[in-house]
Amino acid sequence: MIRTLNLAFIVMTGLVCLGLYRIAEEARVAAADLKVTRAAIVRENDALTVLGAEWARLTQPGRIQALVGRHLELSDKPEAQLSSLTQLPSKNAPLAAEGEIRNAKAVVPQPLPQPSAQAPMQPAQSGDSSFALIHTGT
Amino acid sequence: MKARPGAPLIVRSRIALAALFCATAFSIVAARLVDVMVFGAGPRTAGAASIAHPMRADLVDRNGVLIARDLPVSDLYAMPAALWDANEAAHELADATGADEAHLKALFAPKRGYILVQRGLTPDRRDAVMRLGLPGLNFEDGYKRFYPSGRIVAHAVGQVDTDDHGVSGLELGLESSVRGSRDAAPIVLSLDMRIQYVLEHAIEEAAHDFRTKAAGGIVLNVRTGEVLALASMPDYEPNSRRLEPGDSIRNRMTQDVYELGSIFKIFAFTLAVEEKSVRLDEPINIGNGLKLGHYLIHDFERLGPTLSAAMVFAQSSNIGTAQIEMRTGPTKQKPFLRKMGLLEPLKTELPEVAAPLYPRHWEDVEAATIAYGHGISVNPLGFTAAAAAVVNGGTLIQPTFLKHDEVQSGERVISEDTSRTMRELMRLVVTDGTGTKADVQGYDVGGKTGTAEKAENGSYAHHLLISSFCGVFPIHDPKYLVFMMLDEPHGNRQSGGFATGGATAAPAVGRVIARIAPLLGVHRNDIFAAANP
Repeated sequence: MIRTLNLAFIVMTGLVCLGLYRIAEEARVAAADLKVTRAAIVRENDALTVLGAEWARLTQPGRIQALVGRHLELSDKPEAQLSSLTQLPSKNAPLAAEGEIRNAKAVVPQPLPQPSAQAPMQPAQSGDSSFALIHTGT
Repeated sequence: MKARPGAPLIVRSRIALAALFCATAFSIVAARLVDVMVFGAGPRTAGAASIAHPMRADLVDRNGVLIARDLPVSDLYAMPAALWDANEAAHELADATGADEAHLKALFAPKRGYILVQRGLTPDRRDAVMRLGLPGLNFEDGYKRFYPSGRIVAHAVGQVDTDDHGVSGLELGLESSVRGSRDAAPIVLSLDMRIQYVLEHAIEEAAHDFRTKAAGGIVLNVRTGEVLALASMPDYEPNSRRLEPGDSIRNRMTQDVYELGSIFKIFAFTLAVEEKSVRLDEPINIGNGLKLGHYLIHDFERLGPTLSAAMVFAQSSNIGTAQIEMRTGPTKQKPFLRKMGLLEPLKTELPEVAAPLYPRHWEDVEAATIAYGHGISVNPLGFTAAAAAVVNGGTLIQPTFLKHDEVQSGERVISEDTSRTMRELMRLVVTDGTGTKADVQGYDVGGKTGTAEKAENGSYAHHLLISSFCGVFPIHDPKYLVFMMLDEPHGNRQSGGFATGGATAAPAVGRVIARIAPLLGVHRNDIFAAANP
């Protein structure tokens, strides 16, 4: 009985030792990985810091203006080209001629009569058009 | 565990002892397992790399654009005694770090203990040194302040010393906030780098065109008090610790005081309108000059026998302004200027602020000359703060370099009506007065020109001028003030040979307004009128 128990204890002790060794080893590897990861985080943070500063240096207005002057043909007077959405006509405002537009038809332009040799060419009158809007009514 | 009945006592005792030992050992193991698995106790992390943090927070402009940042750098030290070949090491280190080879050879020659080879090595240069594989080298990690915009914003932001302590500008003025912000939150300044660039560019151009000794400018939000841009020329490179020839670390917009000349008439007329001591259509006798005691006050050019009070302001008549000022006199002028903040040191985040200079004895003659901006010296930023109060409806603001979108609810110093009248007068200066070159179609610029003679050897020198212009837009509902000052400009063909504020600073301010108004979301009136008939 004692021998059996001793044997069992020895086996159990061996297994526990193996288990403990494995846990200790995993912990050591994890600690080493953590150290490496933290160092990598520091390096990445430093790189981000440097890249952010580099980006700010490269995108400063003076440098961009110099590049634009060298490579593009843009005007240096933007004020006349800028506007605001608030200055556009309102989408919901009724159009005065909404009915006319909705009911409008385009007529295929007819070929203009060829001027004959006898009939001298007349200057076009104001309002002359090769097509017209036709009111269909509802 | 039970021993055989026949076993001797000593055997049973040993078995019991062994059993106790095993039980104790298993208990310890079990306890540790529970500790690790349940309570999560892990190995100590003393050996793990600690994440270093920069000493100072980032400075960013109002749109988040980086202005100043601590960058990781290393200081390189060497033990010359450990180097196999000092000359070869000096050569290789000079290549890798950019240091002077002869200087390194001199340093390594005495085989002294531990010497500084190079400060502030960037990470790539540090890697280059590491690849050399030289013995006896050591790095000390740290941070170095970097200013991506360089000279553009040098005077406002300032500098730090080699230990990363602020020594000038906002770096010094905001020292406690910048060093106290360890949670990586940047300090958001009121500056707008786009506006700063436009202002700096215009000043540089004007300084070049008119061959000035110095120049400067300010863009201020007249309602919130935020300084959107501040430039002073000559400037310097903040990333270098050396000044190039011609550079200056002096911030002329706050550190120096000037007699600003006619631009000061803004306050003379504000007082007159507030006190109702003048009607704007009232004729004022100009003549050939105004004799006051032993002094004769005259104008830059002959403006005619009489001018209306409004045109006295628009045409910038010293004679007319002095007469109008004398109606209120020094007893009202001095308290008024004090109320406008022009006789007190300016309170702002910039530490380099000069106190104003004004006469101890303030009598009629002094009041008359101060009315047109001679005899009192203020720093330009203090002037713009007072001018902002004149046009913003009458509320005194405190200029700030921190983003602050709310309208300042400062002390009311003049009435709304006076402010409105002054805006009309300032518009008149640009439409029919001395500041016509500052007009920008569609933006309704108002303003005032200033041309002051500089004092030299106890008298005023006619050829040494301080020319300035203070522009406000849009004048019907002012939001922004643009000030520019040129120190000793020289007339050129473009200015018709004149070096006055109206001929030099006014057109430059007009160009600045034309460029920054769209960036600031100020609409052109003509476009608006076309879209909303």
